[in-house]
Amino acid sequence: MKKVSLIVNGVQRQFVVEPDYILLDLLRKELRLTGTKQSCDRKGQCGACTVIVNGKSVRSCLTKVVNLDGAEVITIEGLGTPKNPHLIQEAFALSGAIQCGFCTPGMIMAAKALLDKNRDPSVDDIKKALRRNLCRCTGYKKIIEAVRLAARFLRGELTPDQVRPDPKQGLIGVSHPRPSAMIKACGVAEFAADIHVSGAGELATVHSPYAHALIKSIDTSAAERIPGVIGIMTAKDIKGTNRLKYMVPDRPILCDAKVRFIGDPVAAVLAETREQAVSAAQAVKVEYELLPVMMTPEEALAVGALQIDPDRPNLCFTQPQIRGDAEAALEKSAAVLETDFSTQTNHQAPLEPEACVAYLEEENGDLPTLVVIGRSINIHYHMGMLQDAVGYENMRYEEAYSGGQFGIKIDVTSEGLAAAAALHFRRPVRYIPSLVESMWLTSKRHAFRMKVRLGADARGKLTAYCIDFTVNNGAYYSNGNVIVNRALLMLSGSYYIPAVRAMSRLVYTNTIWGAAARGAGPPQVNYALESAMDMLAEKMGIDPLEFRLMNILKPGQPKSTGRVAEQWPLPELMEAIRPHYNRARNDASEFNRKGGTVKRGVGLGTGSFGIGGPGDTATVAVELDLDGGLTVFGAAADPGEGNDSMLTQIAAHLMNLPMDKIRLVTRTTGRTTAAGPAAGSRITYMLGGALVDAIHKLKSAMAEVSAVTAEQLQASGKPTRYMGTKKNEDAGPLDPQTGQGPSFESQVHAVQLAEVEVNTATGEVRVVKMTTAVDAGRVINPKNLEGQLEGGMDMGVGFALREIYIDGQTKDWVSFKFPTIGHSFEMETIIRETPRTKGPLGATGVGEMTMVPTAPAMMNAIANACGARVRHLPATPNKVLAALREAKG
Amino acid sequence: MEGTAQTPPIRQELGERVRHVAGREITFDGEGFFWDPHQWSEDVAMALAEEEGLKDLGEAHWAILRFLRDYYFQNGRSPLNRQIKEGTGISLMEMEALFPCGIKYGARRLAGLPNPRNCI
Repeated sequence: MKKVSLIVNGVQRQFVVEPDYILLDLLRKELRLTGTKQSCDRKGQCGACTVIVNGKSVRSCLTKVVNLDGAEVITIEGLGTPKNPHLIQEAFALSGAIQCGFCTPGMIMAAKALLDKNRDPSVDDIKKALRRNLCRCTGYKKIIEAVRLAARFLRGELTPDQVRPDPKQGLIGVSHPRPSAMIKACGVAEFAADIHVSGAGELATVHSPYAHALIKSIDTSAAERIPGVIGIMTAKDIKGTNRLKYMVPDRPILCDAKVRFIGDPVAAVLAETREQAVSAAQAVKVEYELLPVMMTPEEALAVGALQIDPDRPNLCFTQPQIRGDAEAALEKSAAVLETDFSTQTNHQAPLEPEACVAYLEEENGDLPTLVVIGRSINIHYHMGMLQDAVGYENMRYEEAYSGGQFGIKIDVTSEGLAAAAALHFRRPVRYIPSLVESMWLTSKRHAFRMKVRLGADARGKLTAYCIDFTVNNGAYYSNGNVIVNRALLMLSGSYYIPAVRAMSRLVYTNTIWGAAARGAGPPQVNYALESAMDMLAEKMGIDPLEFRLMNILKPGQPKSTGRVAEQWPLPELMEAIRPHYNRARNDASEFNRKGGTVKRGVGLGTGSFGIGGPGDTATVAVELDLDGGLTVFGAAADPGEGNDSMLTQIAAHLMNLPMDKIRLVTRTTGRTTAAGPAAGSRITYMLGGALVDAIHKLKSAMAEVSAVTAEQLQASGKPTRYMGTKKNEDAGPLDPQTGQGPSFESQVHAVQLAEVEVNTATGEVRVVKMTTAVDAGRVINPKNLEGQLEGGMDMGVGFALREIYIDGQTKDWVSFKFPTIGHSFEMETIIRETPRTKGPLGATGVGEMTMVPTAPAMMNAIANACGARVRHLPATPNKVLAALREAKG
Repeated sequence: MEGTAQTPPIRQELGERVRHVAGREITFDGEGFFWDPHQWSEDVAMALAEEEGLKDLGEAHWAILRFLRDYYFQNGRSPLNRQIKEGTGISLMEMEALFPCGIKYGARRLAGLPNPRNCI
């Protein structure tokens, strides 16, 4: 032990600590300064724990307290408060640099250390200073802009008030800072791991090291003897179904009979400290009997393959889509492209671990309420899943601030374990899993294998498209059929294709389970279609932009589902991108004229993404408050997209109120409407639509009795609370034989232009620039929209070039190949606003579409640069070199 | 891989089911909850209760069912159990005794309230 004296945020402190005690623990556990975050298992990979020590930014997870005697430490809490923020915090909020907010405190501290020494940093200076800080939401562009804005504030060239949008500018189409931005900038937004729960035990989980095995026995005796252990929970201790049923009840909270992938949870330990729980988990002895492992759909579909799920065959879902006679149309086509593509299993990679807490809230002699505070994006549905799984109905679910989503939170993970443990041990439980545990607990983006044939007539008009795709569903079902159906609902992408023939297969395997991931199906099939478009255009000697333009669907023509589109404002986007395309082609020609091993290329990709799916319904309630404000009730999870902005700005606009008079109640099952998931890019379109309807009803009632206040409404016998709904009346499943049927009510459209440089000697690809033209209808908050576009393109490039999840190998952000600020690239966005006829104030959604065109645009650019056609993602240097060799014959 | 249009049995788990109850055509989800709460009637509730072995719905049952429906249409969700208790004055243990299938699978289903929605 050693006594250390140091100053933290200006206050002299003394601590007696063990030699290996780290600053992160001192700050979070001893001083409750929870603005300093933790993501990477203390490996120094994420920078979320960055603080300033003696004027330098350090990662507090790598900093030992014993070395800090006499040091001065500044954390995010030492900069400013929401009511009196530091200029850097103001700059981040005003720049739209804060989405989920989990990385923000670390980013701001790294920026402060830079700006304290350099008040006029270049972009390269900023990239160097923030090189150890990861962000999954923003693509880093707005973070760089925020640091430059902060520098101007600090130099005295500007003040925040000069940048802050004037309310007189209006509320729609104006980038008012998010309501939640400043509490995230100041580190006081409480994520699940930041919530203090008195007397809580800490949970750790035992995970299977095998991909497929029977559980023969579990010996907990050694683990029980470890000091601090409260108890050990296995499947037999869970009183409910022990099945987390999203669509079908196949995924256990804790495995009972067998394990189905590397990482499947087998037992859980509750102890007084997390370290004790982890030690005890390592001491639990599980005896396994190994079973044959099937990692690919081919292995799982082989004759005699063992059935992975006891109740469902390995081929667990199929859905064809047939429109016209595609085979005959291909036979008559002037040109046919036939090839195959595949995409990888990928981690959605929100920065925050899968943290949650659970406890029993006493009820005066009656059954206590089980309260779960977690990371759900569908609190009402997930509460229902938990009620069944743990066998306890009297429950409330609350959403904490959550650090990124991107589809991973469509299903329940750590909440099942925490809820079951709170009931079993009758103790409050904190479950703050490590990064690797979080990877094991969560779903992944499904890997697709796709065989395609695409035909066109002599004029270049598409004639037919055939695709067979097989989806590796992994060990559990989750929403597998939804992914397949979404791929089919958007199969023809941006185009009118007269004849379509598709067959899809969803297959259980012994890989980690798949579920939603930004786009959820369309990114995979659109990569195949948009790559095939370029390949067919090349075969026919037609420019890729012209080929796309001549085949874009027109209003009145049907999509592959047979539903006719009413609006399709994509040609205008193609024309908007044309000058950039021509400029980029000229730049590439100029560059390549110089010779050398590095070649520059240009590629296009389009995306037309459906929003407001078949039968989708949302409800939102509004209540006129006695002080003249308005409260909005609706379970609109906001893990970073800016739904708080959307609801606030729409409500303030329609009610002619200042934004601070709009109150949002969105995070608890106790007070919100059950409005469906914050998924499918649906919140703006569906909940925004329901909000408009609710306010319309309120205002109609007010007008009817000439009331302008809640008191006057009440005096007239009218309620002050009104429910609004938004519904896509086109409901029902796709026809099981033809795949024809209901479709999305709205679409968001985009075209992306990728400019890349390919090193033909090493296979390395550098992104020079991404340009995107987007029409998401009327824009509510431009910076929020741009933030989605930039973050999505960054994620799309990561998906295209680097990222992959490999069972048993991917264990942290380095092995996952998380995109850093060093990978970031120039981005430009072009916004067009075609009001959507059924959207709230003419708006639609955008969050997922933004990465749908990226991977094909990248692959088309690589092919354009050097002839290497990469058909199997990610396009690692080895694959680029192999494709180059293939191209050269 | 050349495909077939076969339908694996999982579709039966996923789909809606339409049944005739007390003279009405009603769409239920896979767990037996109403898809549309407007398809409910008191006669339907009594018929469904009888299917569950609950032959007589007394005043306490009806008080809970009416509270559930009023609450749903006012708030856009099913009430939490404690909110039913506060609204009806009936303790949770008494409620569980009144509805052998529980509050969620008993009372809420008989009241015709739908499940929250999942994926689109």
